[in-house]
Amino acid sequence: MSAVSGFFASIGQAVLNLLRTFGGACLLLGRVIRSLFPPRFDVHETWRQLYHVGVRSAPIVAVTALFVGAIMVLQSAYFVKRTGATSLLGYGVGFTVFAEVGPILIGLMFSGRVGANNTAELGTMVVTEQVDALRALAIDPLRYLIVPRFIAMMLMLTLLMVLGDLFAIAGAALTSDALLGVDWRVLVANLIESKLLDELVMGVVKATTFGVAISCISCYFGLSVTGGALGVGRATNNSVVANATAIFMLDFVVGWIYSL
Amino acid sequence: MSAADPAVRIRVEGLGKRYRGEWVLDGIDLAFRAGEVVGLVGPGGHGKSVLLKHLPRLLDADRGRVVIDGHVLGTLRAFELARVRERFGYVFQNYALFDFMTVGDNIAFPLRQLAAKVRPDAAQILARVHQRLADVGLAHAFAQFPRELSGGMKKRVGLARATIADPEITLYDDPSAGLDPVTSSKIFALIDAMHRRVPTATTVVVSHDLDRMRAVCHRWVMIERGKVVFDGVTEAIAQASEVVRRFFGEAFS
Repeated sequence: MSAVSGFFASIGQAVLNLLRTFGGACLLLGRVIRSLFPPRFDVHETWRQLYHVGVRSAPIVAVTALFVGAIMVLQSAYFVKRTGATSLLGYGVGFTVFAEVGPILIGLMFSGRVGANNTAELGTMVVTEQVDALRALAIDPLRYLIVPRFIAMMLMLTLLMVLGDLFAIAGAALTSDALLGVDWRVLVANLIESKLLDELVMGVVKATTFGVAISCISCYFGLSVTGGALGVGRATNNSVVANATAIFMLDFVVGWIYSL
Repeated sequence: MSAADPAVRIRVEGLGKRYRGEWVLDGIDLAFRAGEVVGLVGPGGHGKSVLLKHLPRLLDADRGRVVIDGHVLGTLRAFELARVRERFGYVFQNYALFDFMTVGDNIAFPLRQLAAKVRPDAAQILARVHQRLADVGLAHAFAQFPRELSGGMKKRVGLARATIADPEITLYDDPSAGLDPVTSSKIFALIDAMHRRVPTATTVVVSHDLDRMRAVCHRWVMIERGKVVFDGVTEAIAQASEVVRRFFGEAFS
């Protein structure tokens, strides 16, 4: 095979892999939605996942959001000082954090922590025959393992986004007060006056779609594991890359729909 | 044995499974009756565990079919298959214990997942779990996690979980793999005890531990290269082919 044909073959293979992942995740999403109407899933396992996915992710999301808010203020500091437009600081921070930077960074953080962990956990369950054990006990792995994770990730990433927005504002207010000398009350008042409800809602909608994508992609890779520990590592790696790609693509799609 | 033999609980008909172009099971015809303990033996990698996984349809056949009391597994809908699987107990080669649950929760799990109308109440489930743990000599391990147990203990927990609901069909996939001789003897003694508890159950044991299997198995099925090369009682081994006699060794001749 010549270098040129090898190049095109590798591109073709990459496209096929992408389509396979997309198709697999979409099929899984379809089966999950079908299991929700009427609801047929394990409630106890859902509570367990809500705790693991949501409560245990809250500290890392809060810290991330705190610094996101602080960084936005730092980035704006030069222009604020130069123009003296301190009254625009709240609007600038709110707009960027609520609509774009917040959802993306929190989504990536969530994907790295929860999505990767989910793929590794399900993959390990596959290679150690725990998924087969569920089936042998007449339990549908979709209803016991996948649907609770789907609900937990979708719901918790949405709530974590709201929590993240609050911490981002706190980070921005503290930084503006401490480093720029802009009273935090001025920033918060400006933020409220800016009426950024659309941006806030858009950020939360993005977080919900990210939660759906991360759950389906990470579960798909977890359940597709073959080849023991090596396969689990490979699937986890692929899951992180696919989740990050999906986050940026969905961010664009949701943003575009809002711009119509 | 006639096709209508009422004692036949599992019928395997022309079963074939292909991996990467190779038939790992090639036209298996077998019948497993109520009340018998069948030893499924043969060289490693020749299809025993694959055959076992076809019985509750954990794997789909590429050819042939498995029939459980008249139900053709390949044609059942999901909820019908679930009802059939509730009749099985399965001990996995690699334990397959749920590592996020304690030992007690692992064993209680099959009972807790039963439909509400047939599920025992919480106190009854707890009592049965404690009793079964005592039966397998692990009364102290109720609150421990699988990662805190030795291989032999995990096997016993797997055995307790598989049999907690007193299933009609119990499948053991290499229950003594990787265990020392003393622990292996304990495991086979437990298999025997579990069968005595439900004498009408159909039990299939895959193992290489022929000496210990001999104490519990009523009938032998030998698989080689995906085909059944022997199916009979211990006394029939002496009249079997050279390959079969060599596999079972002098003790069986």
